[in-house]
Amino acid sequence: MKPFILKRILYAFLILFLVSILIFLLGRAGDPLEKAALSTRMGMADSEVVDALKVQFGLDRPLHVQYYLWISNFIRGDWGKSLFYREDVREMFINRLPITLELFAGFVFWSAIIGFPFGFIAALKRNSWIDASLTTGAVIGISIPVFWQAIVMIYLFAVAVHIFPPSGYVPFSEDPWKNLLSIAMPSFILGTHSAGIISRYVRSSLLEVLGQDYIRTAFAKGLRAKAVLLRHAFKPSLIPVVTVIGLEWGYMLAGAFIVEYMFAIPGLGRMCMNAIFAGDFPIIQATLILVAGNIILVNFVVDLLYGFLDPRVRVQ
Amino acid sequence: MLLHVNQLSIHFHARQGIVKAVEDVSFDLAEGETLGIVGESGCGKTVTALSLLRLISNPPGIIAGGEIFFQGRNLLKLSEKEMCDIRGNHMAMIFQEPMTALHPVLTVGRQVREPLIVHKKAVRKTAVQDCIRLLKRVRIPDADTRLHDYPHQFSGGMRQRVMVAMGLACNPKLIIADEPTTGLDVTLQAELLEFMKGLTQTEKTALVLITHDLGIVACYADQVMIMYAGRIVEKAPTLELYRAPQHPYTQGLLASIPRLDQDIQQKLRPIEGQPPDMANLPSGCAFHPRCPHAKPRCMRELPKLMQISTGHDVACWMHSR
Amino acid sequence: MTKTRDFTIVRALAGHKIAMAGLIILVGLVGISVFAPWIAPHDPNEQDLYRVLEGPSRLHLLGTDDVGRDLLSRVIYGSRVTLVIGGVSTLFAGIIGVLLGLVAGYKGGFADMVIMRITDTFMSMPLLVLVLVMIATLGPGIKNLIIVITVLTWPAYARIVRGEAMRVSKLPYIEAAQALGASGLRIMFRHILPNIMAPIIVTASISVGINIMMESTVSFLGLGVQPPTPTWGNELKIGYAYLEVVPLFSIAPGLMITLAVLAFNLIGDGIRDVFDPRLRE
Repeated sequence: MKPFILKRILYAFLILFLVSILIFLLGRAGDPLEKAALSTRMGMADSEVVDALKVQFGLDRPLHVQYYLWISNFIRGDWGKSLFYREDVREMFINRLPITLELFAGFVFWSAIIGFPFGFIAALKRNSWIDASLTTGAVIGISIPVFWQAIVMIYLFAVAVHIFPPSGYVPFSEDPWKNLLSIAMPSFILGTHSAGIISRYVRSSLLEVLGQDYIRTAFAKGLRAKAVLLRHAFKPSLIPVVTVIGLEWGYMLAGAFIVEYMFAIPGLGRMCMNAIFAGDFPIIQATLILVAGNIILVNFVVDLLYGFLDPRVRVQ
Repeated sequence: MLLHVNQLSIHFHARQGIVKAVEDVSFDLAEGETLGIVGESGCGKTVTALSLLRLISNPPGIIAGGEIFFQGRNLLKLSEKEMCDIRGNHMAMIFQEPMTALHPVLTVGRQVREPLIVHKKAVRKTAVQDCIRLLKRVRIPDADTRLHDYPHQFSGGMRQRVMVAMGLACNPKLIIADEPTTGLDVTLQAELLEFMKGLTQTEKTALVLITHDLGIVACYADQVMIMYAGRIVEKAPTLELYRAPQHPYTQGLLASIPRLDQDIQQKLRPIEGQPPDMANLPSGCAFHPRCPHAKPRCMRELPKLMQISTGHDVACWMHSR
Repeated sequence: MTKTRDFTIVRALAGHKIAMAGLIILVGLVGISVFAPWIAPHDPNEQDLYRVLEGPSRLHLLGTDDVGRDLLSRVIYGSRVTLVIGGVSTLFAGIIGVLLGLVAGYKGGFADMVIMRITDTFMSMPLLVLVLVMIATLGPGIKNLIIVITVLTWPAYARIVRGEAMRVSKLPYIEAAQALGASGLRIMFRHILPNIMAPIIVTASISVGINIMMESTVSFLGLGVQPPTPTWGNELKIGYAYLEVVPLFSIAPGLMITLAVLAFNLIGDGIRDVFDPRLRE
């Protein structure tokens, strides 16, 4: 078990390293200075000024030296200054992180309380109208683009009927109730999408598990149906579900960016979206690295969970 | 009589129509007795066994008719809750393929002690003790540590012993063993079967032994029931059946295996033809397309199971007047 | 694959309600985009500044947009760009991914290591955000969208094809082909590829849906296909601005995107069911 974890950790760092190279190159390809020159109040900078700035920022040095400087600064906690806001990127991150985390808590809440029960019910009521409608609902749920679902829900619940605010964010410390209202709809939209994915996998994997010989063995021991389900079917049916959560994690995170942007929630996603529009590469790069790091971490946890759920993996 | 099965029929609803997997099957089993059920795969022997525990999944399967009396109670009339009290407690099943029949992600200890916890309301600590005792009884070395292992960490023979230990947990009156020794090497087979034979003698446990291996049946069964296409074609005390098989199918089966008491010069004769398509059975006697003695009547009419001597029943037109 | 097997698969698909539903939607969408000039009641770019942001009427069945263009015609024409981007990027990414996946899975060794590291790197990134960043860098346009989506989505195929190719190349008949002296290329394309088409087709089908979603998102955010070219994402962008005035404007294009993605998801599910009910990621 231990060598397995160690190997996995080393691999995670290797991938993180490759990701950072990719992100670094992406930043250089965007030539941040020229973009910044256009998008800030500097106006149309002439080439001499830009060249001088390039020397100042070390952009005239060989690529690998630039990468080394950039990544060592990043690791030390110096993430640079936003080209647009002239603020320290790390500070900006720390300020916005709690808001995004709150959105994510809501997202996990919705996707879990919709995804798992729906998948279970569909599997247990296999081939009934309940199963058919839940399965159809799930495939529609994963087919609706996040931004359109947001538009429809804003229209229905904020414009036509004023239940939720159409956009904006109220901090919890200011007004807990309004805070919940402002986060409910965006997190629900994120949640339904992944709930669709989760319920499909829960359904199919539970059905597969229920068809296994060991479930028949459990019945032959005299266990009631409920006990068979909880003690014998539940755990193995989670294995593919956990895998798919790891695979789809990046996709779900990207959805959060769009939702934050549309609902004007001042979190990391919105900050990064604005940075993309403005070509504010220090922010984009920092976000991408942290998001990629998060995806790698989640997949690492998924692998560990996999070992926990399936003892057969542990030996290898 | 411990078990009395009367005119049992089990049907499956398949795309091609209704498959009569088991039709008109009757037999009795007393305490301490062993019944061997023999037939090709698909002949309905496993389905018969599963139906005794009412484990036929519905849909697609349904017990279409008949009665199963166990300890005087008709199992088909019991509620699911009452049935749960019997399964694993008074009647246990040992499945073939222990690799898939054992739960892959639960420890062996947990699986073996589960019947005790469910039926005997055992607390965890005593259940663990009993579990070790059970594993020792089926001769699993280092039972007290192997308890914490998972099925994939055991060898094939050891896994099958775990299955047996699980079946024995509550000292059932009836054990149904479905091809318990498939895939084991010969010495392990003998050891396991001897062990179960011992149970029938010391504990008066009744045993239903399902197999396609006539050799095993000859050694361990008191009675043998030969099934073909969902029906009993011959039923007799073991010695009688081997001494004087009456049904052409039984004769064919016996002629197709080597025997020590026969001249080596005599050739083994396989049964000609293919096993029947259960969704589309031949008319009359289902065996007639493969039968060397088939007569026009065999194609038209189904022979009834008739007694030809004490305890010896055959379903064949050759033996009816 | 023999002819009879192809035939039974087609027959099985025809009997599969879910796949058929998807196929019917898809045929409808493709029909609309191919016959757009004949179906659309107006020129999608014809402006009528006297009729701006109108609701549905006889003349304009779905109403008009902010410069008086016929919404129905724009939605009809919008299917063209969206389907082309979704389809072409899937095709390119599929070809690259399948080739590299085959090499990685069959040859193994160094090639496998390099390809899989690249794949894992890409798959550790939030793709949609990366699409946005790259499009913002390269500039908008149909060609750039196709390039960016292709570059970012091929690893998904490579990973699946590699796994399948590894599984298949351990089968006896591949060993038999090797023993008979078949070349590596021949084994990869004649023996392995035909036997792993099912997961490739399933991935491709679902991928078209994802690519359509990506294109719409990017266009909706104003970074994708540039106006006045009609795409569903572009229409939604305008519609969203006037959500309170003309809600239908946001409904129609969004519904089309959802239908398109749904069609490819349903077809993918159907093929997966038919080829192998146990085939799951």
